[in-house]
Amino acid sequence: MSAVLAPARPRVAAPPRPRRLAVRTAQLVTGAVVLAALWHVHLDWTGLRELPGDVVHYLRLMFAHPDWSKLPYALQQTWVSVQMAWLGALLGVVVSTVLGIPAAQGVGPLWLRLPLRAVFAVIRAVPEVIIAIVILTVTGLTPFTGALALAIGGIGTHAKWTYETIEAVPGGTAEAVRAAGGTLLETARWGLWPEAAPELLSLALYRFELNVRTSAILGLIGVGGVGDLLTGYTQYRQWDAVGVLIVVVVVVTMAIDAVSGALRRRITKGARARVVDGTE
Amino acid sequence: MAATTITEPIVQVTGLRRVYGSGDAAVRALDGVSFEVSPGELVAVVGRSGSGKTTLLNLVGGLDALQEGTITVAGRDVGGLDEAGLDALRRDVVGFVFQSFGLVPTLSASENVGIPLRLRGVPVEEREERVALLLELVGLSGHAAQRPGEMSGGQQQRVAIARALASSPRLLIADEPTGQLDSETGLAVMALLRGIVEAEGMTILVATHDPTLVALADRVLHLQDGQLTQHVAS
Repeated sequence: MSAVLAPARPRVAAPPRPRRLAVRTAQLVTGAVVLAALWHVHLDWTGLRELPGDVVHYLRLMFAHPDWSKLPYALQQTWVSVQMAWLGALLGVVVSTVLGIPAAQGVGPLWLRLPLRAVFAVIRAVPEVIIAIVILTVTGLTPFTGALALAIGGIGTHAKWTYETIEAVPGGTAEAVRAAGGTLLETARWGLWPEAAPELLSLALYRFELNVRTSAILGLIGVGGVGDLLTGYTQYRQWDAVGVLIVVVVVVTMAIDAVSGALRRRITKGARARVVDGTE
Repeated sequence: MAATTITEPIVQVTGLRRVYGSGDAAVRALDGVSFEVSPGELVAVVGRSGSGKTTLLNLVGGLDALQEGTITVAGRDVGGLDEAGLDALRRDVVGFVFQSFGLVPTLSASENVGIPLRLRGVPVEEREERVALLLELVGLSGHAAQRPGEMSGGQQQRVAIARALASSPRLLIADEPTGQLDSETGLAVMALLRGIVEAEGMTILVATHDPTLVALADRVLHLQDGQLTQHVAS
């Protein structure tokens, strides 16, 4: 009987084990930083036990008997905040579009793209409140200061969204316009803009939504609007008026979000688009 | 088939070389390619993917930077043109058709066809007249208001051909124009190009790796690894 030898199985090298040292070190360092931070802020852990009771107490003060006589003034100041948000969005979007398009790869040259992107990154690092504090020395405590802070603060992120949107446009269209003899500007106008415009318009509306929320925060430093009013009522412990303000802010913000969201869906997905995935 | 007794070639390519990258990673896309194309010819450039077809067409049309060799298109030395000169070459002399159509999805068929005319500053009335004529030429008169997303692949490619013809180019460069189409539609598109050559006397340089489409060409250039290996008259 002849022996049938099975073919030798090739030796397969086992995949290298993942190196866990770096991950473990990062975990340890993160844990140490969190513990050090907790130690230095001197948390009063005993206060945590009283927190739920305090929250219920203040909610009762605000919402048990709201002072509805303050409603007209609250609406008026909310309108100031919305105007601040709208003007800030308009200025910010215009500047972001003008600066964001040449910052896109394939549109602007490298010597222009890099400094523009650096400026956007620096602006992103500074919160709107800080910008408002800096510019109010020139423009004073007015809603225009708030609008200007929103506009400048918004450029950092909005210009980034702009160049990322332009870069996401499939290259074929721009190549075809360039092949038809289009200059750099004409290629951007006919090859990139028609495809990017709906998304950019949608992002502009989203910027307005974000500004409505941020404008309330800017009011806290005294530039007017509903945040300013909220600070006043809180300092004088008029909790029944604070309750009315919170109701107005929540309702108006949600209404603006709903209308703006519907408009954005219509722009990006078409008039007949309906929400089916619950993501919007 | 087109006449072959024309004296002055519309395309003259001599010793063309194009290398991408450098050092060990350098890829020789074209290596000493020379050929001529006479006016009114339909010349097919065939070869497998990566053989250098697209590089060759892009260099002839002034879409890619010339490294070594000479290219003359309609009497213009492509290597000697600056950016504005290349823009003018593509605007006035050369028309391009791409495999992926390159249509603007948010514009209608007629608006897409009208783009090269806008770039040339053609007045609105004249532009509309020319666009209507071109859509009729490619058999899409009834689809002027449709957007690319509402059209079939073959219809979109015919819109792209109409757009490439809008500025009455002397040379039409088509890079795999049937690459995204089924064989029947692809053959119809090639037949359209053949018809344009015969009706308008236009010169067409078309890259394809579909052998059934090559039969419609006057001449065939075979590219392999960046070199011209055969030069066949159909």
